[in-house]
Amino acid sequence: MEIDSNTNDSVIPSLSEKPIFKALTASEMSNGKVQFRKIPVPAHRYTPLKKSWMEIYTPVNEQMIIDIRMNLKARKVEMKTKQDTPDVSNLQKCADFVHAFMLGFSVADAISLLRLDDLYIDTFEIKDVKTLKGEHLSRAIGRLSGKGGKTKFAIENSTRTRIVIADSKIHILGSFRNIKIARDSLCSLIMGSPAAKVYSKLRNITARLAEMN
Amino acid sequence: MAKNPTGGGNGDVGLGERDHQSAKILSLELLKKLVSTSPPLYLSPSPDLSHLSRNASKNLFTTLVPLCRPKSLPLTQLLSDENFDAEQIWHQIEFQSKPMVKSGRRSLRTFDGLGAEEWRKLFGVVDEEDELDEEVDALEENQVESEEEEEEEEEESEDEKNEDKKKKGIFDHGFFDTDELEEFLETEEKLEYEGNSKNEDDEEEEDDDDDEIGAFNEELSDDDAPYEKYDDFFGKKKKATESSKKNKKSTKTLKDIEDKDEWDEQNGHEDSFDGSQESEKDDDPMNDAESGDNKNNDTLSNFEKQSQIIKSQIDEIEKDLLGPKSWTMTGEITGSKRPKNSALEVDLDFQHNRSRPPIEAEENTASIEDIIMKRIREGNFDDVQRQAELPSKAPKESKQLDENKSQKGLAEIYEEEFAQTTGLANAPLSLTDEQKKEADSLFKKLCYKLDALSHFHFTPKPIIEDLSVSAINLPALAMEEIAPSAVSDAAMLAPEEIFSGKGNIKEDAELSKVDRKRRRAKNKRIFKAETIKRTSKKAKVAPITDLSNEKE
Repeated sequence: MEIDSNTNDSVIPSLSEKPIFKALTASEMSNGKVQFRKIPVPAHRYTPLKKSWMEIYTPVNEQMIIDIRMNLKARKVEMKTKQDTPDVSNLQKCADFVHAFMLGFSVADAISLLRLDDLYIDTFEIKDVKTLKGEHLSRAIGRLSGKGGKTKFAIENSTRTRIVIADSKIHILGSFRNIKIARDSLCSLIMGSPAAKVYSKLRNITARLAEMN
Repeated sequence: MAKNPTGGGNGDVGLGERDHQSAKILSLELLKKLVSTSPPLYLSPSPDLSHLSRNASKNLFTTLVPLCRPKSLPLTQLLSDENFDAEQIWHQIEFQSKPMVKSGRRSLRTFDGLGAEEWRKLFGVVDEEDELDEEVDALEENQVESEEEEEEEEEESEDEKNEDKKKKGIFDHGFFDTDELEEFLETEEKLEYEGNSKNEDDEEEEDDDDDEIGAFNEELSDDDAPYEKYDDFFGKKKKATESSKKNKKSTKTLKDIEDKDEWDEQNGHEDSFDGSQESEKDDDPMNDAESGDNKNNDTLSNFEKQSQIIKSQIDEIEKDLLGPKSWTMTGEITGSKRPKNSALEVDLDFQHNRSRPPIEAEENTASIEDIIMKRIREGNFDDVQRQAELPSKAPKESKQLDENKSQKGLAEIYEEEFAQTTGLANAPLSLTDEQKKEADSLFKKLCYKLDALSHFHFTPKPIIEDLSVSAINLPALAMEEIAPSAVSDAAMLAPEEIFSGKGNIKEDAELSKVDRKRRRAKNKRIFKAETIKRTSKKAKVAPITDLSNEKE
């Protein structure tokens, strides 16, 4: 290439404009392939699913723009992306949402998964914390929920989480920090501490959290 | 003395030997008479006794005249008429007696110095001349007797006038004579210079001079034991001890006399010392030189006396230092080791940790009382006033744990939180705010009621701002109803207001079978509708609880 050293041109040659690429759509990302999600439905959630199907279907189809259907024979909820689906993660969010419902959470609580990114579900068993058998296990479950569920509600309200106690499995829905607090209090309840103690701890922690925020 | 009317004596003029003898005999007789008279008669003045005594003294005088040297006597006869006083007579006697005493002393000395042969010579002379010797002997005896008598008289006079003579002369005791003393001292000094060892004799003689009781006694007792006795020379021992003590101090050597004034004080201090020594001397007058410490105070020199004082001081100090110390000086001590209540006597010094109680004195109380009265008059009391607590901070709102199931879903909660943070939605009413609102509304209602009761004028109800549209049809205005207070609201209502019913109203008894069936069907329909509503509500709100309930 010739170097034009002698040229006294003050004009700088204009650079070509940077090409601006639009975001890929979900379909384009997957090269036009359609993605599926299939979520099995447990037997005890069948009827509630039937009752609250429209509440599930509407936000998924209209706001997430994802196809959803119930496969009655396989007893699974199937979802697939459309071409219009804006975001890749929509499908996953919907899948999580439906999964949460299957675990036992209500639709109103599960919908929060669709709306917020940083909500998670944490599951653990009572036997992970402490080996309990027979009556001790029953008593531990009773301790966890409390009289009329007041202990569980107390934890839920103070930590802004939702808790589902299914036999010896415990599911917690919420943000990471809140899950931790709820889990600690639940574990202390399983270990045997009285509810009042748990309440006092919860109070202190939530107060501190509130101050920080 | 009273005059004698009988007058005259015997033989005033021309004295011979016969006169002498006769005078002698007469004097003896008279003296016997005087002696025979009882002593109490002497107390009262009697002319007879005076006459007697005068004659006696006169005769004595005449008897003694031949024994004296004629030169020395101014008088040959004692003039003892009634006109002469006692003093005058005594003076005359003195004129005679003084030289006689001197001669007597000299003769004594000669007798001392005489040996055995000389005594024989004297006696031999006596054998040859019997009469003369007898006379001489008699004279000698008389001389001695007279000497004795005179000495007695002299001593009596001396004893009477002892106190007066003390002041005058220190040396008026017995044989002591200053002239003789001086002669003696001169001889002794000469002997000292010659180097003879007569110091012992000097000391003895000095001691003798000072201590007349002992030495003189020795000397005299050897030679003149049968004739003279201690009492003759020194008087009776009772008087003599006191006088001798006093005279001891007074009778000193010339050396000591010079220092007497200096040592008078010392003697005063060391009175006990001297007293003890003198008592010892009184007890054992022979043991002077034996005991070492019992040196006579008078013989000590200044240095010795000073050294004695220092020695005594040293002894005292040594005694203090070497002996056991008092309990205050021995370090730590317990109560059992010291005498009882001994700590009270000692002035102990220790720190008092408590402050002393205030001294109660009138001044202090008076000042305090003045202050009190002044304060009361002014009304200036220091009462403690309650301070109102100022709220520095807003009371912390304690978040109470809600044990009820939350009405909102989780999504809604997060939505509200997001809205608050971004500022789109208002802050949710806290529990206290709601409580405040409730309290506010209640109070307003109460105030309205109270106002209606108390005030005369009508005031309408307070306006409660409500956003919600109330379904109740209420009039926009509230007019005052002028009605008596006794009438109740129920009576004021119109019949339509009480009951607004349509159609044919029938009682239960009046109903026909068809009507009853119709009514039952209607009730059923209503009931069914309600149950459906209820079930649909439950299904909507709490599907999870249903599940949990099923499980339980």
